[in-house]
Amino acid sequence: MKNWCQKDGQKPNEKYHYPQILLKNRKPDRILTLEEYRLDDGYAALEDTLKNLKPKEITQKIDEAGIRGRGGAGFPLGKKWLSIPDDAPFPRYFVVNCDEMEPGTFKDRVLLHTNPHNLIEAMIIAGYAISARKGFIFVRPSYETLSQILERELEIARQEGYLGENILGSGFSFDIVVHRSGGRYICGEATALLNAIQGKRPNPKQPPPYPTTRGMWDKPTVTNNVETIVWVPHVLRHGARWYKSLAATRTGEGTKLYCVSGKVNNPGCFELPMGTRLSEIIDVHAGGMIEGSEFKACIPGGASTRFLTRKYYDVEMDFDSFRMVGHRLGTAAIIVFDHKTCLVDATLNLMEFFARESCGWCTPCREGLPYICELLRKIENGDGKAEFVGILKEMSKFLWNSYCAFAPGAMSSLESLITYFEDEIFEHIWEKKCPFKV
Amino acid sequence: MISGELKEKLLKEILEAETPNEKAVDVMYELQKVYGWITDEAMSEASELLGMTLTELDELATFYNFLFREPVGKYVIHVCDSVVCWMNGYEVLLDHLKGRLGIGIGETTSDGLFTLLPVCCIGYCDRAPAMLINRRVHGNLTPEKIDTIIDQIRAKEQES
Amino acid sequence: MPKLIIDDRIIEVVPGVKVIDAAEQLGIMIPRFCYHKALGSVGACRMCGVKFVDGPVMGIHMSCMVDAQDGMVVSTTDPEAVEFRKYVIEWLMLNHPHDCPVCDEGGHCLLQDTTVSGGHGIRRYPGQKRTYRDQYLGHLVAHEMNRCIHCYRCVRYYQEFSGYSDLGAFQIASRVYFGRFADGPLESPFAGNLIDICPTGVFTDLTTRYRVRRWDMERGDSVCIHCSLGCDTIAGARYREVLRQEARFSEHVNGWFICDRGRFGYQYESHENRPRAARICGSETEMDKTIDQASQKIDEIIKVWGPEAVACLGSSRSSLETQAMLAEFCQMKNIPGPVYFLDKSIANKVKSAVSRLDMQLALSMREIEDVDFILALGVDAINEAPMLALAMRQAVRNGALAVVADPRPVSLPFEFEHFALLPENLKDFLFALIKSAVNIEDIKPESNARGFAGALPEDYPGDQEMMDRIKLLAEKLRQSRKTAFICGTQGVTETLPDAVADAAQLFSHTKEKSGLFYVFPAANSFGAALWDNSDKRCFEDILDGIEQEKIKALIVVESNPVFHYPDRNRLEAVIKKLELFLVLDYLPSPTVTRAGMFIPSQTVFESGGSFINQEGRLQYAYPIHRGGIPNYQQSKGSHPERVYGLGIPGNDPKPSREILARIAGLIPNDATTRDSLEKFDYFGHPFFAWLNREEYPFDNIRIIPQKSQAEPYSASLNKDLMPMGNVIKLLLVDRTFGTEVLSAFSEPACKVESPPVVYMHPSDASQAEITEAEKICLTLPGGDLEVRLELKENMAEGIIVLPRHRQLFWQKCHSFDEWMAVYKTIKPSQS
Ligand SMILES: Cc1cc2nc3c(=O)[nH]c(=O)nc-3n(C[C@H](O)[C@H](O)[C@H](O)COP(=O)(O)O)c2cc1C
Ligand code: SF4
Ligand code: FES
Repeated sequence: MKNWCQKDGQKPNEKYHYPQILLKNRKPDRILTLEEYRLDDGYAALEDTLKNLKPKEITQKIDEAGIRGRGGAGFPLGKKWLSIPDDAPFPRYFVVNCDEMEPGTFKDRVLLHTNPHNLIEAMIIAGYAISARKGFIFVRPSYETLSQILERELEIARQEGYLGENILGSGFSFDIVVHRSGGRYICGEATALLNAIQGKRPNPKQPPPYPTTRGMWDKPTVTNNVETIVWVPHVLRHGARWYKSLAATRTGEGTKLYCVSGKVNNPGCFELPMGTRLSEIIDVHAGGMIEGSEFKACIPGGASTRFLTRKYYDVEMDFDSFRMVGHRLGTAAIIVFDHKTCLVDATLNLMEFFARESCGWCTPCREGLPYICELLRKIENGDGKAEFVGILKEMSKFLWNSYCAFAPGAMSSLESLITYFEDEIFEHIWEKKCPFKV
Repeated sequence: MISGELKEKLLKEILEAETPNEKAVDVMYELQKVYGWITDEAMSEASELLGMTLTELDELATFYNFLFREPVGKYVIHVCDSVVCWMNGYEVLLDHLKGRLGIGIGETTSDGLFTLLPVCCIGYCDRAPAMLINRRVHGNLTPEKIDTIIDQIRAKEQES
Repeated sequence: MPKLIIDDRIIEVVPGVKVIDAAEQLGIMIPRFCYHKALGSVGACRMCGVKFVDGPVMGIHMSCMVDAQDGMVVSTTDPEAVEFRKYVIEWLMLNHPHDCPVCDEGGHCLLQDTTVSGGHGIRRYPGQKRTYRDQYLGHLVAHEMNRCIHCYRCVRYYQEFSGYSDLGAFQIASRVYFGRFADGPLESPFAGNLIDICPTGVFTDLTTRYRVRRWDMERGDSVCIHCSLGCDTIAGARYREVLRQEARFSEHVNGWFICDRGRFGYQYESHENRPRAARICGSETEMDKTIDQASQKIDEIIKVWGPEAVACLGSSRSSLETQAMLAEFCQMKNIPGPVYFLDKSIANKVKSAVSRLDMQLALSMREIEDVDFILALGVDAINEAPMLALAMRQAVRNGALAVVADPRPVSLPFEFEHFALLPENLKDFLFALIKSAVNIEDIKPESNARGFAGALPEDYPGDQEMMDRIKLLAEKLRQSRKTAFICGTQGVTETLPDAVADAAQLFSHTKEKSGLFYVFPAANSFGAALWDNSDKRCFEDILDGIEQEKIKALIVVESNPVFHYPDRNRLEAVIKKLELFLVLDYLPSPTVTRAGMFIPSQTVFESGGSFINQEGRLQYAYPIHRGGIPNYQQSKGSHPERVYGLGIPGNDPKPSREILARIAGLIPNDATTRDSLEKFDYFGHPFFAWLNREEYPFDNIRIIPQKSQAEPYSASLNKDLMPMGNVIKLLLVDRTFGTEVLSAFSEPACKVESPPVVYMHPSDASQAEITEAEKICLTLPGGDLEVRLELKENMAEGIIVLPRHRQLFWQKCHSFDEWMAVYKTIKPSQS
C-alpha cells in the first residue's frame, strides 16, 4: 500500500509503511468521487445498517470499538451517543465539527479533500443511530472551497437516495446542511458551536444541561469531530477488533492523522497507527528537521497543548501515553520549533492569537490574556522585569478557572514555557533584549 | 437594494432552516457579496428578511471575523499571523505586502482594490506562510510569489 | 436537604440553592458581579470563586454555578481562593478609567467595594487602557462604556428578563461593547433598571446626573404611587429636593425592579411651579389664616344653606390617612359623601373588586411569575400597570401561556395570545372559556360552584370561529396547574370584576392555585373604595347640585377634576357658580389654578402615608425629607444658597390630613400637630377592625379578609348589553407616559412621552372613509378634537381608543366610557 505522504523521489522505507484507511484514496489534486468510493465498498455499511441493525446495535458496536474523540478532548464516541436518554425528545440533531481553527491543525481539511463521502456516509449512520433527522457540518470560512465541495457532493448523495426522505427505502429520513461559520476560533468549542448554528452569539454554555439532553433549540444534539465520525462505516464493516489492532500501542486505537508543521523538511498530514512515536513522525514521515536546525521543542497537539521538550522525543503519541507524562494529545498537530526560534516570542504569538479570539464572556480570558500579552511583549522587547515572571506564573494557574476550556488551553504553552524555559525568559530580562534577535 | 431574485432565494433558504436565526450569517454573507461589505442598508435588508432586529444581527456581525461592518477593498487579503506562519517568515511577507500595496494593516488601497487584514491560523500550516485572498488560499509564499499574485489581479482588473 | 459546611459553619439548604446563596444565608457575602438573584447564574465574571476543600467537587469553583450538595466543605477564605479573586478584581480594573470622583455610581458602586475588599490597591498592569465611544441612549440613562466590567448583567436583564432587544452585546474579546445598534433612546419602559443592575457606573441616572452622591442623600423606604401596583421604592433627597427614586426589593410586589414611570415620575415634587403658598382669589396669603378662613367660610355656608350645600371630592392617589381624614371631616360636618371617584362606574367596579378579594384568591404580583396560565381581561399591562407586564413575562419565560382579551392594540414584551374584543364581549368570552374548560365532575357536589358552572352559558354568542379558538384555549386552561385571572377596572363593564372573581373561585376547586389579580386606576383606589360614599351622592350629583344652586361649596383634596373629568366646559361653568371652591394639593394642576381658595399640601415624600395596592396590601411610604423650595432652584443651579435665615423657605405646605383636621376643628390651629394627630385613628373603617393600632405605621400587610365559607358566585350571567346601530365606542385609556397625573408634572417622564394619538382599526377607518391622514378630527359632543391617527390591525373593530394625553384637550367627550355616534363624523383633518 502506498503511503501518499511520501514525497516523490524519496525512497520509502518498507518498515514505515502502514495501512491507510482514512487517507487511503488520497489523490494529489482531487477528491474521490462517489463512484470511486462505491467501488471501494463505500455506502455498503450504510445499506447494511439500515437493513440489518437497530440504532441501539450500532451504538453498541461503536462503543465496543472505543473510538475516542479526535477533536481534542478524546471523549469516547460511543459514550457520547449513549448519553442521550432513551426518552429524549425529537427532533434530534447531529453536528459535525469542521471548524478546525486550532493553530497547527489541518487534518479535517486533508481528510475531506480526500474523501467527503466517507463523512457523509458516517453522518447518515450516526443520524440513524441517534434517531436524528438533520445533520449539520459546521465549516470555517477559510475552508470555503471545502464547503462548496461538500454541498456539491451532498447533492450528489441526495440524488443517489442516500439523503432525504426514506433513505434507500428504509423509512429513515435524514438530511445534511453545510453551516458556514462567520469565523472565530471559539466556535469550535462544542457548545459555542451550537449557539453559532442557532444564530446566537457563540459564547460557550457550561453544562448542565448537556447538549445530548438539551442542545440546539433545546433538543438533544450530538457533536463530533470530522476525524472521529468518519470511522463509523469502517468500524461497522470491519469490527472493533480490527479497529483496535490498527494502533501501534495497546493504549491507542485505530490510526491517527498527525499534522506536522514548522521546521521540518516535509510538513504534512500523515495517517499512522495511533501511538506512533514522536521521533518517528518527525524524523521519518516529516522528513526530519530542516538543514541547520535542531529540535528544541514542539507543541504536540495544536496550540492549546504544552511545549514538549527533547526529553519526550520518543513518546508514543496516543491519548493515555501522553496523559501519563503530563501532556495532552489534543489534535495531534505537531508544531516543531528549532533551536533558533525564540520560544518567548512564539508564546507571545500564541497568546496574541488567544487574546484576539477569546469570546469575551469571562473575565480571566477576556482581561487576563491581554495582560499576559502585555507582559510577554515587554519581556520580548527587552523591557521586562523579573516580577513579571511571577505574575505570569500565577496567571497561568488562575486562568484555569475560566468559564470554558479555551483559556486553560491557552495557558498550556505559557505554563510549559515557564516550567521548561524559565532561563530563556530571564535571559530576555537580564540582557534587556531578545537573545534570538541580532 | 438587492435583486428580487436573490431575495427570493434567501427567503426560501430561511424557510427551510429550523429557525430564521440559523441563516443569519449566511444571509449576511450573501449581502456582503452584493455590497462588498455589510452596509447599514444591508443590515436593514437582512433584518427584514430574517425578522431579526438590527441589534440581534449586529451582535453577530461584530462578533465574526469574516463579516465586514466597514468598507473593504474588492480583494481582501487575510495574512495568517499564527504561530507556524509566524515561524516561517510571516513578518517579512507582511512588510513586503505593506510596501507593495502602500498600506498598513486594516487599510485599503486608494484604488479600492486591496484591504490588508490579519487572520489567525487558516489551516494551511503545511504550506506556511499562507494567506487568503477573498477566501482563496495561497500557500508557500515568498515575496516573489506575492508580487506575481498581486500583478495578476491588477492586470485582470485593468482589463475589465 | 443538602447539608454543607461553609467557612467552618454548617448550613442546610433546600435543594437547588447555589453555594453563593447558601453562604449568604450564613451571612457570608461572597463577592459577585454577574450573579444576580433575578437573573440567575451564568458564571461569567468569575468573581465568586471559592475553594471546595472536600466533597463531591474539589478545588476552585464559582460559587454561583455550583448547587449546594451534601458533604461539601467550602472555604471562602482559603488563600488560593483569595488570591484568585484578587486577580479577578485586578483584571476587571485593568481598563477601568478610575474616574470615581466624577462618577455618579461612586459611593454605592459594587466595583469600588469589591476592589477595596478584594485587596487590589496597586496597579501593576503596564499597558494602555482600552477606550470606547459612548452612546446617547435617550433622556433617562447615561452611558459611560469605559467603566464597563463586562458582567453582562445589562443585556441579560434587558433582553432576557425584560424582553426588549434594542440593547445588546457587540464585538468580541476585550472589545465587547454593550449598547445599541445606533445612538437613540432605549425602547424599553423598564430601561431605568439598568441603572440599578449595572454594578458600576456604565448606566447611571441621566436626569439628575452630578447632582448627588448616594451617601449625601436623605433616603428612606417609599412606595411608588404612579399606578395601583404600589411597587416598593427607596426615595432619596438632597438639599430639599427628591433626586432619586430607586427600586427596593420586595418579595411580594415588584421583586428587584420598577418601571420608568415609577423611577422618573417623582419630579412633580420639585416642579418649578409647584404651589407652595396658600392663595385666596389668586393672591398669596398666610397659611394659618387661610385655613381659618376656609373653616369659617364652610361653617358659614353650612349655617346658611345646610350641610348638603357642601361637597367633598377626595382622590384615589391620596394616602389612606388623607382619605380617612376627609371622611371624618364630612362626618363631623354632616356633609354627604365624600366622593373619591369622578366616575361612578369605576367606583362601582373597584368596590365590587375590593369586596371580592380575599386571602385565598388574591395573587401577589410575584406569584404571577409562578403560574402557567394567565388570562388577562380588559388590561393593557404596559400602559396601565407596567410592572405587571414584567411579572407576566417571567411566567411566560417559565412556560406559561398568556392570553389577553382587550379591545386595545395591546403590545407586551413577550408572546401572548390576543383576543381583540369589545368590552361588552369580554364576559361572554370568559364564560365560554371557563364553561368549556371546567369539568363539573371534579367539583364537590354540595358546593355552590357546581350550580354556578352548570348555569354558565355554553357558547360564545354567534361566532363559531371564535368558539373554536376558545375550545383550544380551554384545553390549555384545563391542563394548567396554576392560573392567574387578571382583570382591569377601567373601560370594562361593571359586571366584569365580579365575573372574573367567580371564574377564579371556580377553578380554585380544580387547580393547585387559581388566583385573582385586579388592576385599579390609581395607587390608592382600594382605600378610596373603602371610604367612598358616592352611592349617596356621586360626582355627577354634585355637578347637578351646583348647577341647581343647591351646592355652594366644593372641597377638592388632591384631585384634579379639570384634567380628569370628560366635560371641561361644564366643569368650568360649574366652578364659576360656586361660592367656595377650596382645593388642597401639591401639583400645579389646572384645578389648582382655578381654585378660589387654595391650601398647599405635602407630597408623599414629605408627609409619608399608607397606601393599599390593588391586591389589598397595605404599605407605608416613609417621609423622606422636610420639603421646602429646592436649594438648586433657589440658587439656579450654582452653589448652595448663601442667604441664611430661620426656617425652611417655601415650607408652608402641610400634610392634607393635617389641613383637613384643622379645618374640621379636630385640632386647634396652634397645636403642635404631632401630638394632636397621633391620637387620630385613621383605621376606623370596619375593614381594619383586626389591625393592632399600636403597630402603626403598617407596612406590607395584606388586609383583605379570609375566604368566607359560602362562595358567593355573584356575577350576573346576563349578557352585557351592546347598543344597536351605527355607533362606535370611544375608549379613554392610559399610556405608560403622558396620561398619569403625577408623572405628567415630572420633567423626565414628559421628555420620553410620545405625542398624542388615537387608534382605530383599519376596517373602521375605511368605513369612515379615512385613508391616510396624518391627523384626524373627531367630532365630539363638546367640539372637534384633532389628533394623530394610527391604524392598528391588532385592536377591536367598532372602537376608537384615545389615550388621555396631557397635551390633548380630550375633555370634550362628555362621558367616561360611552357608546356614541361619532362614527359618521370622523373626517380627515385639513391641516
Ligand atoms: C476553544 C476550543 C476550540 C475547539 N475547536 C475545535 C475544533 O475546531 N474542531 C473540533 O473538532 N473540536 C474542537 N474543540 C473540541 C470540541 O469542544 C469538542 O470536544 C469536539 O468537537 C467533540 O468532538 P469529538 O468528541 O469527536 O472530539 C474545541 C474545543 C475548545 C475548548
Ligand atoms: S474562557 Fe471565557 S472568555 Fe474565554 S472563550 Fe471561554 S468563556 Fe469565552
Ligand atoms: S458571580 Fe459567580 S461568576 Fe460572576
